[in-house]
Amino acid sequence: MNAPFYVEVLARNGEVRHRQRVEALPIRIGRGYDNEFILDDLHASPQHALVEIGEDGGLQVRDLDSRNGVIFKGRRRNQLSLDGDTVFRLGHTNLRVRSADFAVVDARRDTTSHGWEGWPPALAGLALMVLLTLVSAWGEDTEKSGAIHYVNALVGMLAIALVWVGGWTLANRLFGGQTRFGRHLFIAACGLIAIEAVSLVCSVAAYSLSLEILTKFDSQLMIAAMAGMVYFHLLTINPNHPKRIAFASALVALLGAGVVLMVNYQKSGLFADELYISDLYSPALRLSADKPVNQFLDAAGRLKPAIDAERGKAVNGDDESPE
Amino acid sequence: MRAIFLLLMSLFCSAALAQSADDAASLPAPSSTAQRLYAAAKGDLLQVRVLLKSGRTQSSVGSGFMVGTSDLVVTNYHVMSQVALEPETYVGEYRDTDGRRGAVELLAVDVLHDLAVVRIDRKGSGFFKVPEALPQLKQGQYLYSLGNPLDLGFAISEGAYNGIVSRSFYDQLMFTGAINAGMSGGPNVTVEGRVAGVNVSKRTDGELVSFLVPVRFVRDLLKQVAAQKSPPADFKLVVGQQLLAHQTTMVDKLGGTPLTFKELNPYRVPVWESDQVRCWGWSNDKPDKTYAVDQVSCAMESAIFVSGQLETGNVSIQHKRIQSDELGAWRFAGLASKLFKSQNVGWHKDLRLTAPQCIEQFVSNGKLPVRAVLCMRAYRKFPELYDFTLLTASTDASRMTLQSRVEANGVSYPNGLRIARIFLESLEKEVQP
Repeated sequence: MNAPFYVEVLARNGEVRHRQRVEALPIRIGRGYDNEFILDDLHASPQHALVEIGEDGGLQVRDLDSRNGVIFKGRRRNQLSLDGDTVFRLGHTNLRVRSADFAVVDARRDTTSHGWEGWPPALAGLALMVLLTLVSAWGEDTEKSGAIHYVNALVGMLAIALVWVGGWTLANRLFGGQTRFGRHLFIAACGLIAIEAVSLVCSVAAYSLSLEILTKFDSQLMIAAMAGMVYFHLLTINPNHPKRIAFASALVALLGAGVVLMVNYQKSGLFADELYISDLYSPALRLSADKPVNQFLDAAGRLKPAIDAERGKAVNGDDESPE
Repeated sequence: MRAIFLLLMSLFCSAALAQSADDAASLPAPSSTAQRLYAAAKGDLLQVRVLLKSGRTQSSVGSGFMVGTSDLVVTNYHVMSQVALEPETYVGEYRDTDGRRGAVELLAVDVLHDLAVVRIDRKGSGFFKVPEALPQLKQGQYLYSLGNPLDLGFAISEGAYNGIVSRSFYDQLMFTGAINAGMSGGPNVTVEGRVAGVNVSKRTDGELVSFLVPVRFVRDLLKQVAAQKSPPADFKLVVGQQLLAHQTTMVDKLGGTPLTFKELNPYRVPVWESDQVRCWGWSNDKPDKTYAVDQVSCAMESAIFVSGQLETGNVSIQHKRIQSDELGAWRFAGLASKLFKSQNVGWHKDLRLTAPQCIEQFVSNGKLPVRAVLCMRAYRKFPELYDFTLLTASTDASRMTLQSRVEANGVSYPNGLRIARIFLESLEKEVQP
């Protein structure tokens, strides 16, 4: 155990907020100016604790009969051995003491592509978003609405994107130290494209194959795509725990899916997004074959018991449809 | 464009605007016939009121008349509908021209012709006779309607008989005279005082265009009352049976009518066009549109009144051709989807009908391939009655489509399927030579 020693103030997430070098033991810690380490904490006593060599030859901290004591793992201790990773609390401040010969862990492998930060991903993301917005606005422009239609779509999209990306950037700054705005913008753009793609594929496939289930529950698939986007946003903030983040994203997706099902049920009495496939496409996109009228009506005939069963169900409603 | 029929019962919200007294000077001298008729009839003329059992406040009012010297009173079904369907909540009461009141007991209803017979605690003087031999009416002949318009007081109004109209499913007489809300169920008599019909409705989009239930249906219902030992215990069942009988008649009549084909080139679209089912055309024809919509809508102008919340027993058909030279296939598909999506097939919290359940498929009759959606809802209170909505969108072209909607309300399951079949089998597209 070699001098000098370092007293470190830690944030709750374990990051070092402040570090002070002390040349020799013992180290007096407290709010008073006669200490080696002055603790600006209203809950710390003027002479709060002392760091010295313990009986085992290692470092230890000792309480100097302070009002609030030395807290380790939620319990007050008179003495506490320190091994360099021991974090104890004085007042509201978390502290750690290390000696100069403390062995730090090896450098982490750098997996971040530093070229893909800042402007390049920001511009790429912006371009993708603008492109997507213009393409979908063009698809909906059936009324000769002119340039204002596209401008409106762009402004709306950019406003939403700004709020979304801004939120992630802020979170990144708070929890990851950097903003990484460009990265988040790019992730948001890719996520949006993924969500649109899922929706489009579901809709076309539902029509093409006459598969009702695809449009009835396509919002669940869109939520899954959205959870993927959230995963990458979180991973950008903190790349250390991909499994935990995946779990959290899945949880968010489940919650979202549950909320959508509840809203659907409230709105239409069904968990499905819609009662029937309403998206129609060009005949060229159709794969499912025509069925004869008889077969269709026979199937409708078989629905009678299910409809009759509905009669008995209680309903809490009105005589008129809300229109 | 739709005809607006007003059933002539005054509901709780009848806010009447008083006419200025100056108008009285310009009115013609009162007809002496009307004076004589009113004086003779007033003893047998009644106001029929439906009251909420709790509080005994009136919920709807109409009129009625005593048949001969019996204790029977004829009125409209729609005046008594709440008593028939919700006897636990509503009760009937009469009030005569002298202001005396008494209870009424519902004996029989005829939902299809909108008639009801009730019994009261006193007997008639014999003024209103329902003749076995029906009066022969000539167009232009004077008729007189009696009743209690807008709950203001008893009144008589003079008008002319103008023939039998067949726009509603069951025959009605057209009376060109004033009848107003509250006169529903009141008698309409000839100069001699013979009952010609019962006041029932008027068109609110016209002037003095009023309708009467012909007296022969009153006669039939009175015969039925005479034959029954006791009134039905549950009028909901009776109403349900009559609605079932109506839909059988209606679908048989429609099914027996050959379809008329309207040209929505290149499509030939089937409709029923008759006195009861009227067709109207519409187009979005404007120069700045990127697409054209041409529409044929046919509907029965009348429906069977069951309650203030429910009219049923009718059919409507709508065909819409959408085409565009300007929009490409992709954007046209978006447009067609929007129209197909906006179809309302019913709400799940409706107290009258169950939530819609649908079946969908690509269907072809060999002449035109369509995407077909058939949605069914059951009536909660009337067994074996359903609403059917058939939606189709043709899948023959990438920049043109025919979207149709056929609605059959208050039909049996087999009849709903039968109507769906008729339309699915008859949609056509002309093959270009």
